[in-house]
Amino acid sequence: MAVGVTATAGAPGVGLSLEGDPRRRKRERIVRSLFLAAAFVSIVISALIVVSLFREAIGFVLRVDLGALWSDGWFPRRGLYDIRTIVVGTLLVTGVGMLVAAPIGLGAAVYLSEFARPRVRRLLKPILEVLAGIPSVVMGFFALTWISPNIVQTLWADATLFNLAAAGIGVGILTIPLVATIAEDAMHAVPHSLREAAYGLGSRKRTTSLRVVFPAAISGIVAALIVGVSRAVGETMVVAIAAGGTGGSLFTVDVTGPGQTMTAAMMAVATGSDRVKGAALTFESMFFVGALLFVMTFSLNLVSERFVRRFRRRF
Amino acid sequence: MGRRWRLVAVVGLTAVALLPAACGGPDDDGAGADGGLQGDIFVSGSSTVEPISGLNAEKFSGANPDVNIRVEGPGTGDGFELFCNGESDISDASRPIDDEEIAACQENGIGYTELEVALDGITVMTSPANDAVECLSTGDLYALIGPESQGFDTWSDANALAQEVGGTGGFPDAPLDITAPGEESGTYDAFIELAGFEDIGVGQGLSEDEAATTRPDYQSSPNDNVIIQGVEGSESSFGWVGFAYYEQNAEAIKAIAIDGGDGCVAPTRETIAEGSYPLSRSLYIYVNDAMAAEKSALKAYVDFYLSDEGFASVTEVGYVDLPADRIEATRSTWRSA
Amino acid sequence: MAQVVEPTDVTASVRAALRGRRVDLGGAVFQLGLLLTLLVSFAVLVTLLADVWRQAYPVLADRGIGFISSNLSSLPQNAGIWQGLIGSVLLMLVVVAVAFPLGIGAAVFMEEYASDTRLTRFINANIRNLAGVPAVVYGLLGLAIFVRALGSVTGPDVHGRSLLSGGLTLAVMVLPIVIITAAEALRAVPQGIREAAYGVGATRWETIRSHVMPYAAPGILTGTVLSLARALGETAPLILVGAVTGFFATDATFAESFQDQFTSLPTIVFRWATLPDTEFRALTAAAIIVLLAVLLAMNSVALALRNRYERRW
Repeated sequence: MAVGVTATAGAPGVGLSLEGDPRRRKRERIVRSLFLAAAFVSIVISALIVVSLFREAIGFVLRVDLGALWSDGWFPRRGLYDIRTIVVGTLLVTGVGMLVAAPIGLGAAVYLSEFARPRVRRLLKPILEVLAGIPSVVMGFFALTWISPNIVQTLWADATLFNLAAAGIGVGILTIPLVATIAEDAMHAVPHSLREAAYGLGSRKRTTSLRVVFPAAISGIVAALIVGVSRAVGETMVVAIAAGGTGGSLFTVDVTGPGQTMTAAMMAVATGSDRVKGAALTFESMFFVGALLFVMTFSLNLVSERFVRRFRRRF
Repeated sequence: MGRRWRLVAVVGLTAVALLPAACGGPDDDGAGADGGLQGDIFVSGSSTVEPISGLNAEKFSGANPDVNIRVEGPGTGDGFELFCNGESDISDASRPIDDEEIAACQENGIGYTELEVALDGITVMTSPANDAVECLSTGDLYALIGPESQGFDTWSDANALAQEVGGTGGFPDAPLDITAPGEESGTYDAFIELAGFEDIGVGQGLSEDEAATTRPDYQSSPNDNVIIQGVEGSESSFGWVGFAYYEQNAEAIKAIAIDGGDGCVAPTRETIAEGSYPLSRSLYIYVNDAMAAEKSALKAYVDFYLSDEGFASVTEVGYVDLPADRIEATRSTWRSA
Repeated sequence: MAQVVEPTDVTASVRAALRGRRVDLGGAVFQLGLLLTLLVSFAVLVTLLADVWRQAYPVLADRGIGFISSNLSSLPQNAGIWQGLIGSVLLMLVVVAVAFPLGIGAAVFMEEYASDTRLTRFINANIRNLAGVPAVVYGLLGLAIFVRALGSVTGPDVHGRSLLSGGLTLAVMVLPIVIITAAEALRAVPQGIREAAYGVGATRWETIRSHVMPYAAPGILTGTVLSLARALGETAPLILVGAVTGFFATDATFAESFQDQFTSLPTIVFRWATLPDTEFRALTAAAIIVLLAVLLAMNSVALALRNRYERRW
């Protein structure tokens, strides 16, 4: 920042050095390195996550009886670590969640971006923001006490109170704002010229938004959906309260019954003691699942980044 | 600029003023400034016994506010793990300590005192819609959920095995939907033991270890809520919980009478208290002797637990009182510990 | 509607189209369908609040302040959320003390000092990835590092399962969000402001301190209050780090309580929601009302700050 030039003798302001006070420069350097250190902390955190997760996870994989990874169910305290159970559970809950979040989120996004007048928009947008602020424990309680009896058990008479579908719907509701916000940003970023071209050709608003704006914003919309999936995969408390798989769970594909996801499985192990009794690897299994989860969400986020960059670059 | 410095000065002075109040405080362990009891107590173990220990902890800390006490209920097995590592002061248990755990405690030099504090009954239940099943013998239980019953999807699948081990059988052809405690729960262990799985299994040619288990393929949960809901949710369900939880949900589920060789007995407070119900069990607390000698607060807590007021908590949270003679036996065990 | 000027030789079909139906039925239905999706979200919100309030009202009406000031208990009539409230407040203090300086500092570096090198792009990508990591994984991190590795520092008497461990874990979790929102606020400050300072000979730090920060402060503040609100509602990381879900009583002073066992308001909600005793249902609902009220207050503060101090360029 400082310029190292000295004025020549005879010029006005002789003897003035533009170099500046060395104390000021030193302070600059210190401050800059402090801020650099702060930025570096984020890298340290990432490294710590990877190290702590994978160290225990690898220990688990090396010591586990591989047959236990393909057994009747996920019963960590009995040494049964059937990965299928929890992965399928996660997929089921995420699937149900996206069935809820995708239509509602995208529909809301299209409406807010293309149809809503500014006043209406200012009124309706806060709804999404409030929805985004609901803590997942609250949604879990709602899923158990309202969604399950009034929706799931009404549609499927033989559903138990604790079931994956109710948890999935709860997760979906929490994901709606995320999908809606990103999709709406993407559609908003589509230049007006495209819309005006469509209107100029005589198309109605409906056609324009569906056939012109939506496809133009498709990268952003896909990004929104992927981020939604990532959020749904990582959701813990709704499942922990409403899906009922707390001790262990048999392999199941029935969403009207209880089940377990990767996230809730980690919670269930942790609500034992620090060093849990039962099969020797129960504690390590938690990190193993955590590592799996981390890889999953990391990949999803990478993919969504690619889509986001594409839609941002286009305009 | 000047205004900002004034603000900093005000905040700084306030912080300095509060500092003595924040940092000042009585030292840990030993008598406090006002002569009250001091110390840390950590109670862990059975989620069944947790309400009793928790209520007593509440009452105790009300009278002794300077004692730090914490009660958790991760499960009997988990509790013993902590206890035999010297990490907890008291271990709540819904079954007696087993050989492995005794060995672990010995290895780590943990001496303990076993104190029986309450009675509970394991209630075997099914849906109220299930008319076909009213009473099951221990042989029937083995046939439905013992180690050899893996893969039985309907009640009738178990008929043959039931006949074999001396049960009554005659089960309907309905889906066998099981929701019950899992391995980390003391209720699981107590159930296996009281139903005599080990003896029956060994009689069938299994090793002791194999015999003292259940089938692994059922929906297990340590959460009694989940179990009760699971049993409620199917018309031909099967499961078991502690009596207190059954009592709280008595309209929603049907208790099955158990025949332990002396006829069918249904679980009620009376049959559990007098011991005629075959699946009645004792609830225990295990106290770390060395810690009790060292921490006066811990000793005082256990004294309180065994006092009349402490024992009153048992019925307050829904369990069954020990008969008077066993209360006395527990008290004298503690006195001589 | 514009005047229809009759051109001389327009075709019949165009004339028909210009005089066509004014009402686009399909379009109206479509628009209604879309509006419905928003209304479904609204309906869910309303149902949730109504149902929770319905269950909570008896408890709150009956016990009022007593509910807030009581400690945890096995007996529903005595149980209250006081320890959870205190725990949450103290946790937020830790988060503020740790995440905000680090986060704002990192954002300042990325926006004001860093040039566009591979390293900075890597840091940026890294931060964005961290923002997408599920909360429960941060819980594992907290368990491995703050509870087990650093247990003797964070909580020597409680095997590391202390409020400090919980707070640090939450701080690490919200750090990426703080960085991102602060960076956005800094980016919104027009370059002209900075150039004005450089023009009179200020160094970069002096520019940031006297020119950039005051203008970015409202945005940063709003973003950080919102991150706090997010941290307040988290449960999974705290449970993994050892928040008490049973009962505890402690005599710790304010300074001691950071290294002492702890619980938080959402943890209590989780615990009560899973208890088999049905009387705890109403208590859970009441605790949720308190939690939502606190969150509402925080979000309102953030909104008020934004509205009051926001400058339009």
